[in-house]
Amino acid sequence: MNDELSEYRDRARRWLAENLRRRELGDADDLRNITPGLLDAERDLQRLVAEAGYAGISWPKEYGGQGLSQEHEHVFQQEAAEYRVPNFGVLGRTTFGICVPTMLAFARADFLDEHIPKVLRGEELWVQFFTEPAAGSDLAGVLTRATRDGDIWRLTGSKMWSSGAYYADYGLCLARTNWDVPKHRGLTWFAVDVDAPGVTVRPITLITGESEVCEEFFDDVEVSDRDRIGEIDEGWTVAQTMLAFERSMGSRNHGAVVTSPSHVAADLQELARDLGRADDPTVLDMIARAHINDVVFAELTARMTALSAAGAADASSLAAYPKLAAGLFTPERARIGMEIGRVATVVWDDDHPERARVATNYLTARGRAIAGGTNQMMRNVIAERILDLPREVSFEDGDGVHR
Amino acid sequence: MPTRLEIPLASEQAMLRDATRRFVSTAWSPVAAREVHNTESDPLDLRQAAELGWFAMLAPEELGGGSVSTSGIADAAVIGYEQGRHLVPGPFISTNVVVDALSRAPAGDDRRSLVRDLVAGWCTATWVDAGSGAAVATGNVTASRVNGRTLLRGTAPAVQDATTVDWFLVTAQSAEGLDQFVVPRDASGLSTKSQQSLDITRRFGAITFDDVEAGPALEVAPGAGAVSEQIQRQIDIASVLTIADMVGAMDHDFDAALEHARTRTAFGRPIGSFQALKHLLADTSLLLEASKAMMDAAVRAVAGGAAGHMLVSTAKAYVADSAISLGQDCFQVFGGIGFSWEHDQHLYLRRLTTDASLFGDASWHRRRLLDWDPYAKDVTA
Repeated sequence: MNDELSEYRDRARRWLAENLRRRELGDADDLRNITPGLLDAERDLQRLVAEAGYAGISWPKEYGGQGLSQEHEHVFQQEAAEYRVPNFGVLGRTTFGICVPTMLAFARADFLDEHIPKVLRGEELWVQFFTEPAAGSDLAGVLTRATRDGDIWRLTGSKMWSSGAYYADYGLCLARTNWDVPKHRGLTWFAVDVDAPGVTVRPITLITGESEVCEEFFDDVEVSDRDRIGEIDEGWTVAQTMLAFERSMGSRNHGAVVTSPSHVAADLQELARDLGRADDPTVLDMIARAHINDVVFAELTARMTALSAAGAADASSLAAYPKLAAGLFTPERARIGMEIGRVATVVWDDDHPERARVATNYLTARGRAIAGGTNQMMRNVIAERILDLPREVSFEDGDGVHR
Repeated sequence: MPTRLEIPLASEQAMLRDATRRFVSTAWSPVAAREVHNTESDPLDLRQAAELGWFAMLAPEELGGGSVSTSGIADAAVIGYEQGRHLVPGPFISTNVVVDALSRAPAGDDRRSLVRDLVAGWCTATWVDAGSGAAVATGNVTASRVNGRTLLRGTAPAVQDATTVDWFLVTAQSAEGLDQFVVPRDASGLSTKSQQSLDITRRFGAITFDDVEAGPALEVAPGAGAVSEQIQRQIDIASVLTIADMVGAMDHDFDAALEHARTRTAFGRPIGSFQALKHLLADTSLLLEASKAMMDAAVRAVAGGAAGHMLVSTAKAYVADSAISLGQDCFQVFGGIGFSWEHDQHLYLRRLTTDASLFGDASWHRRRLLDWDPYAKDVTA
């Protein structure tokens, strides 16, 4: 097995060296403000990777994957880390890390036959239509309605905070199909063509001025019953699986190995040096605290991954620990940047983009405490599912969603 | 029932843990732990403990030692965790630091033979860290050359079991820098006295050196530098075993607080059903699980050079702060009952808070990790 893996590694290394260029300093970590032209180049690159057999490495063969192990996938990602691989921005992670794994677990064979090969070739990017204006932390409070009409379902309602929807081809949409049962029991997932009549996608401008997330309106959108993912009214089970993929993604980060930062918070040290504060004991203590949290996050993530593999508890409950840690550490770290920066990170000249980054980071860091499950939801998960403390008293009717 | 989050130990380590637990549960109890500060001798039979391998894990086989797995420090940490969990008194951490140090002395150094006695529990030793910089209550021991003799002078406070151990590994400031000496308790000019401690589950004392004649300095490997690598290794080992002590004590204290929250009722329901308490317990559980992860990381880091020193100090700083927070959180969960002498909560709070300060407190270790970061050195240079 080890021989086979190292042979696979050698082959991957050769192919990467011959076909892709190495990552350069100017390459963005994450593509933003995506335009059709930008997307075409990424799709071409994805097709190249797919044709060589390095896409969907651990996905089943019958849908165009390679049918190899997670270890193979991991080996390729390690080797590819230094190369300029296809970059689909947030939708790359959503498509390959959340939507497809969920579909592979729940969608019908003919559906997978049609869509998975297209995903592999870069022809289809998927978005989650999950959160709604009135259903944030209370995810099961979905009010988007799907009504059956023969072999057709008609969708009406709205979604919000859908990352990257403005350049998605398809969306996985959670809708209420039964209003007479408790809220978790009447939900169903559908695959929706983003270009279908009745779908409107509008970007939401965020506090940084960027707009990577969107809101959507569904006005009597027709969806075939063949595009239903999972059983009718069983959508919450599908959602749990999807959330586990989503929570574990923050730490997997494209499946890259989680390692402890080997030297102390370089960004903060550079900022301190730039501002002449590198030997201020207060600043040094703050930098050390930031580093400690960086290391703790990496070690905690590794520990929870190992516990999950050992079957100590279900993966999505265990993932609540690193998610909560990130939700606490990230805003704290951003605040440390501002404390070191003092006035230089609230007012700066145009030629100081690194100071602008500290300020922007301060605005966005709170996102880690909210998106993908708030700190408070993570505490509920830990308290109820790991510590087995009693659930909250519910103030909802047990017999259905009346709206 | 709550889910226990434990990564299974290797079978030989699990056997070591179980044997330690059996011994401790028959020979020791939190009731006895309340009286340790009033006793004059080791409350536990150290020879019996030695038979379980408490002092053997960091010693080579030719000196009577030997670990159960391939990592002696990992095995010692397994025992260290049980020390904290069961509030075990006695010189476990410091004897192991001295065993490791003397085991690394060159073959011709007759102080190596002391290891055999320490491993067998015939005698005990403590690591006097005054002068290494790690001690928060820093004493000031100096070594001076007078007529060809080396004389130690000064006081080292806050040394565990100072009044009962047989040997001291002393770090002293000499004209050339820091040196280490091995001194017996009956050395002329050496005196000890008991001190009061927040932690009543262990005993602490001060040692006074009044022109104590020391033999040749201990040099496990020739090397220059103000604080030599051998002292850094001792700081690492003392830190890792103290982290294990804290994690064991944290684990027990949290279990007890969680059980209290699940069974104590108020306003007609378990207090653990109130979200204010659930969230406090979830945050505390995060501190505990992250501390376990950092304990594993610190064990792996021993013998890892500069990066290893950085990681050990990162772990000690984090676990020290988390231990105090966890002790305080559990105190809050227990409410009034936590104030009573009969309840064990105060014993754990005392032990955790003391561990947090021993062998370098959190802020000292934050400074140490920066000192070992090559990048930070560039910046401050």
